[in-house]
Amino acid sequence: MRTWKKDFKYLFYTLFHPFDGFFEIKFRGKGNMTLATALLVLYGLLSIFTTQYTGFIFNHFPVHSMRSIQLFMLAIVPILLFIVSNWSTTSLMNGSGTIKDIWIMTCYSLVPLILFDLMTTLLSNIIILEEAPILTAFRYIGVVWFCYLIFCGLCTIHEYTAGRNILTLFVTLAAAIIIIFLVILYFTLMDTVISFVETISTEISKRW
Amino acid sequence: MAKKKIIGIILLTALVLAGIPGTAANARNTEDHHYTYDFWGEVLKSIPAFELAYTIDGSKMDIPVSGMDDVATGGGRIFLIDTQESRLHVFDDTYSYVTSVKLLRGEDKKIVLDENGGQVALKNPEGVWFHESQNEIYVADTGAERIVVLDGDGYFLKRIITRPDNMVGVTQFRPSKITVDGTNKIYFTVQSGFEGIVELNQSGTFSRYFGVNKPVVDLWDYFWKRMSSDEQKSKMSKTYAPAFNNLAIDGDGFVYATTVDTAAKEQVFRLNPKGENVLRNKGYFPVMGDLLIQNLFVDIAINDYGVYALLDQEKGRIFLYDFDGNLINIFGKSGDLRGDFKAPSAIAWFGDKLVATDKNLRCAYVYQMTEFGEAALGAAKNYYFGEWEESARLSKEALRLNANYDLAYIGIGKYYLMQDDFKNAMYYFRLGNEKEFYSQAYNGSRSLWIQENFALILAALLVLSGLLVYSEIRYNKKKG
Repeated sequence: MRTWKKDFKYLFYTLFHPFDGFFEIKFRGKGNMTLATALLVLYGLLSIFTTQYTGFIFNHFPVHSMRSIQLFMLAIVPILLFIVSNWSTTSLMNGSGTIKDIWIMTCYSLVPLILFDLMTTLLSNIIILEEAPILTAFRYIGVVWFCYLIFCGLCTIHEYTAGRNILTLFVTLAAAIIIIFLVILYFTLMDTVISFVETISTEISKRW
Repeated sequence: MAKKKIIGIILLTALVLAGIPGTAANARNTEDHHYTYDFWGEVLKSIPAFELAYTIDGSKMDIPVSGMDDVATGGGRIFLIDTQESRLHVFDDTYSYVTSVKLLRGEDKKIVLDENGGQVALKNPEGVWFHESQNEIYVADTGAERIVVLDGDGYFLKRIITRPDNMVGVTQFRPSKITVDGTNKIYFTVQSGFEGIVELNQSGTFSRYFGVNKPVVDLWDYFWKRMSSDEQKSKMSKTYAPAFNNLAIDGDGFVYATTVDTAAKEQVFRLNPKGENVLRNKGYFPVMGDLLIQNLFVDIAINDYGVYALLDQEKGRIFLYDFDGNLINIFGKSGDLRGDFKAPSAIAWFGDKLVATDKNLRCAYVYQMTEFGEAALGAAKNYYFGEWEESARLSKEALRLNANYDLAYIGIGKYYLMQDDFKNAMYYFRLGNEKEFYSQAYNGSRSLWIQENFALILAALLVLSGLLVYSEIRYNKKKG
């Protein structure tokens, strides 16, 4: 219990001092894997919450046909994809971060997004259309902060310079596209195989 | 036994009566399936606002009819143009045939002769317009490249407008569809005339080209045009501005126009005096007809409270929009049943009725309002003229007949907003998915809430600032 409280405090220290924070997490083991995963799940849940509870004026989503699991996946999968593709590129490009480091770093960086999304969602219920710039500003603060944390975090845990970090980010993007391509290929092929087996078994069952 | 017989006779007469046109003034009698779009673009069932009341065709005339290409109304009459037979047919408000004009006669009933002694007749006219204030009929005599002005009552020739000497540009003087505004200025379109609508002064002199119809910019074309030399450019096919194909004018003197060119950026225009499109697009979607297919709007008709009907050639549908660009109703279809379109060509308001012509079927359909149409359009009319209460009442009536008519929720909401009844206004705007007005209503209710609970809010703020000051003091004391 004591360590959880400490880890939680440390998380907020990291938000304001990303270089020091992520350094400590990597080399002194101050990160908490469970806390990080919980944050990721929280982020997914929050995307459902946002869709459902954004105020009427700003909610353009057809809430009557909402699918929670789909929304959850849509929030989480890009992050998982980033983690995997970043790990697979950096391990080839002399990055010293392990997948555990990347995982904790990415999930900790989600905190500003979570906080500001929560804030905008609650605020959107007591705001009129003319005050919409406030919401946009809040959302952008969250996104910019998130990007800053990710950038600092990657620099720290992979021990990269800024230039090399940007280069790896581009390669990460390419890797992500390749992964998506492979996944689609796999599912298309499996679909064909399964339908082939299905057809044959139907044929056999009809004959005998 | 006798009772059964009587019931049988009543039922039979009811059946026969239902078959007679003009008696079925209720949407319950139509079996048409119609639809509308909601806020998210989903297709909902809806009932039609108009139904077929009468069909005007050549059966009651001894003159061959080869097509109906344009329609104009006014002075209690319907004017129909037959391009192929070069005729202007006139029908009165009971849809009975009045007269037909081909050879032009003077006031003395004698046929007008040209300088060579030949008879002057219409030659493939494409458009007609009845100018109410001067009691004149304007016929766009396309084949003869002139505009023929007839008297509104005697149908004799008043004057002929030919190509003015001061006309500039490359557009031919082949008026296709024509309209005249309150200051007697003449506007007409020319088929594939890329310079815009031609505007003539009352005297028939050329005024200007009018209206901007922007083509869609193809990025790829743009790229190649940037890359190529002047010599290459001269060999490329030129992109011209799409032509307007039809036009009409509203009570405020704004020219409405349509284009069927799929290369055009916008399909429907409300042109201000500068020629810019100022069509109001306050509905769920811009004025575009169907959402997923491209409609070809061949004609537009506006009535005196801003409701306009767009006639679509692609699916044979008529789209009704109100002044703000809200979709009121969709009705009509192409097909082979009675009242269906083959090649719709023109539409006009005839009082509270609509007249739409079909080129291939050689007939004009007269539509009358259904019970729902009366409520929905009545609400739009009363809203336009500022009769909020009557508008709200008719909106409620429209909702009773068609719960999918979202516009009625907004109408009722606007009424409550006008009454400063924010709670009810918010409720109805939410049902109608009207964010902008909901925001206004919410703003009102929020201000009221703040007024009522001002003391509470002030107290909370005081406590909060007190706590802040206290913690600061304690923090500083600790540090020493």
